[in-house]
Amino acid sequence: MSTDRLTIVLDRLLPGDPGAGWPAAGALGLADKARDMAAERGDADRLAGILAALPADFDDASEADQIAGLKALESDRSDDFDLLILYAYGVYYTDPRVRDVVEARTGYPNRPPQPEGYKLPPFDERLLDKVKERPPFWRRP
Amino acid sequence: MDALADPPVDAVIVGAGAAGAAVAWRLAKAGLSVSVLDRGPWLNQQEAANSRDDWEWVMCTDHHPDPGIRKAQADYPVTADDTPIRPAYYAGIGGSTLHWGAHFPRFHPSDFKTYSLDGVGRDWPIDYWDLEPYYDLNDQIMGVSGLAGDPANPTRASRAMPPVPLCAGTHRLAEAADRLGWHWWPSDSAINLDQDGQGRACCNQCGPCGMGCPRHARASTDITYWPLAVEAGVTVRPEATVGRIETDDDGRARSVLWRDRDGAWHRQLADLIVLAANGMGTPRLMLHSTSAAHPDGIGNRSDQVGRHLMHHPTALVSGVFGESLGPPAGPFACALYSQEFYETDRPDRDAMRGYQMQAIRGQGPLGTALGGYVTRLDWGRDHHRQFENSFQHTVSLTVTTEDLPEPENRVDLDNRAEDAAGVPAARLTYRVSENSQRLLNHGIERTTGWLREAGAVETKVTALSRQAGFHFLGTVAMGEDPDRFVVDPTGRVRDCPGLAVVDGSVFPSAGGVNPTSTLQANALRLADLLAGQTPLPRGRAEARDATI
Repeated sequence: MSTDRLTIVLDRLLPGDPGAGWPAAGALGLADKARDMAAERGDADRLAGILAALPADFDDASEADQIAGLKALESDRSDDFDLLILYAYGVYYTDPRVRDVVEARTGYPNRPPQPEGYKLPPFDERLLDKVKERPPFWRRP
Repeated sequence: MDALADPPVDAVIVGAGAAGAAVAWRLAKAGLSVSVLDRGPWLNQQEAANSRDDWEWVMCTDHHPDPGIRKAQADYPVTADDTPIRPAYYAGIGGSTLHWGAHFPRFHPSDFKTYSLDGVGRDWPIDYWDLEPYYDLNDQIMGVSGLAGDPANPTRASRAMPPVPLCAGTHRLAEAADRLGWHWWPSDSAINLDQDGQGRACCNQCGPCGMGCPRHARASTDITYWPLAVEAGVTVRPEATVGRIETDDDGRARSVLWRDRDGAWHRQLADLIVLAANGMGTPRLMLHSTSAAHPDGIGNRSDQVGRHLMHHPTALVSGVFGESLGPPAGPFACALYSQEFYETDRPDRDAMRGYQMQAIRGQGPLGTALGGYVTRLDWGRDHHRQFENSFQHTVSLTVTTEDLPEPENRVDLDNRAEDAAGVPAARLTYRVSENSQRLLNHGIERTTGWLREAGAVETKVTALSRQAGFHFLGTVAMGEDPDRFVVDPTGRVRDCPGLAVVDGSVFPSAGGVNPTSTLQANALRLADLLAGQTPLPRGRAEARDATI
């Protein structure tokens, strides 16, 4: 299947929001990366088959018809569609450019959880004052 | 079959997870020579992927708890077409503790006596106080943070470390529970919060414990029990795939036939063979190990091996808040729980037994988008709005219900696929019972109310978590009646001298909480019995609690 179809599909699944700074997935050029990720997991043929199952005129159809084609796939072949979503969301949300947008929009730092971790204040035992007033209520056999 | 002869040992253990580790250490300390076989490798958690930029992708694929998604070489095939709950476990030295959230509650006393108290399920041949000293011993080795004094549970020893911190979302849940007048308590967590943790660094609240912990803050048996067991003389053989348990003409278990990483077959003779391959893997091996003496599989003369499979059917309700709760900080599965509806003696529901509600912290960006244990975000034009409204705005509650033993829920063999050692696939056949469904329904309503009270502007319900097959219990249960229980109260398989089972398979009941601390405590106790040792004295707290 051609790169073009997967690029179109990515743009329909994750069309972006220019006003908020979210890029479209296809426009980021992520189709080849998505295909590589599928190949690494032995899913290349299955992904190609899923794309081939879309209507023959999908590539040239209107945006509305392309969305309709994807909705039909989601309805008729949910397991296949789940796989398509896995690679679409996977390639998008692991892309450093998208993680930069996540950081800009939410404050979530663009770094892995380790080694830095996060800071939280210690547990405050005073929170339990009310619960501690309760007598034991487990059942004794 | 011709095979290389391993030096005979007193005991060989199949499975190096939570139970196998505890038993190996305890048997070796009693003076037995012990060898352990596990199909998985040693893992170096200091190389865990949560230090990599693509950590979330690894978590969703190569480190996924479902072997059907993970596709790891060490996994055996599982047929899960006839169950709504997918299997979740891990193969490696440490087993599923390599992959768990480290939530470490104990069973309640009533969990051991469900039939006597409520007329449902099966009683254990022991009670809570028989296990209490082993719970305490296990806590010392695993390293448990938390707080004694929970009114929902019997008195217990002080925890070695303080509770894990709450985050903004779980803090709101605590305050909301108080307003509702409901019980809540900080989790007992097998997570190191000690700055001087005997070689284990203090947890730095990174979140995704299930990927492995490069700081060794989160306990797993590869860093707790196994170093002690090896020091005590135990031989651990990784990437050792067991083909069958061999018995003699009289039906006694004599040896384990196993295949090494290079494909060479070995025969391990032992006076005692101990199965600790979890509630799916253990019956799989027993059913496959047929012989003239055991034509239907070992211990299966009453067709009980593999039956009465119990999970913890789990619903998950997520609360979406109108403002940011901050980064998904803190161990994802350990914060707080409520056992307000745990016991049967509540007049407000039409089901027996009960459930725990457990807080689950937020996920990373990809986890939020894909859903995982919560609802997946829509694709299309609304996706990014949904993402911004959900990410760092969500905290969830599980409803972890007590499953009852049903004979039709079972593990058996599917000969259409087999592993490298020729053992057929495990086949899961399972339905959520009417009682469990009623508990789920009740819990969904209550957790939804809790989240609303906490300020959630929207709640999303996953009525049955598909990926919640992380506990396999009851498939080779222990008990007094030889017609109903494959294993006797000492862990020995009744029809097969020389064979014992020590994992979650032997649980007569499932409780409504994570089973690992109970599983390990029971394994330690069984190890003492199997080694001919006198069990530890019953719990000291019994007399104190008798006045309650």
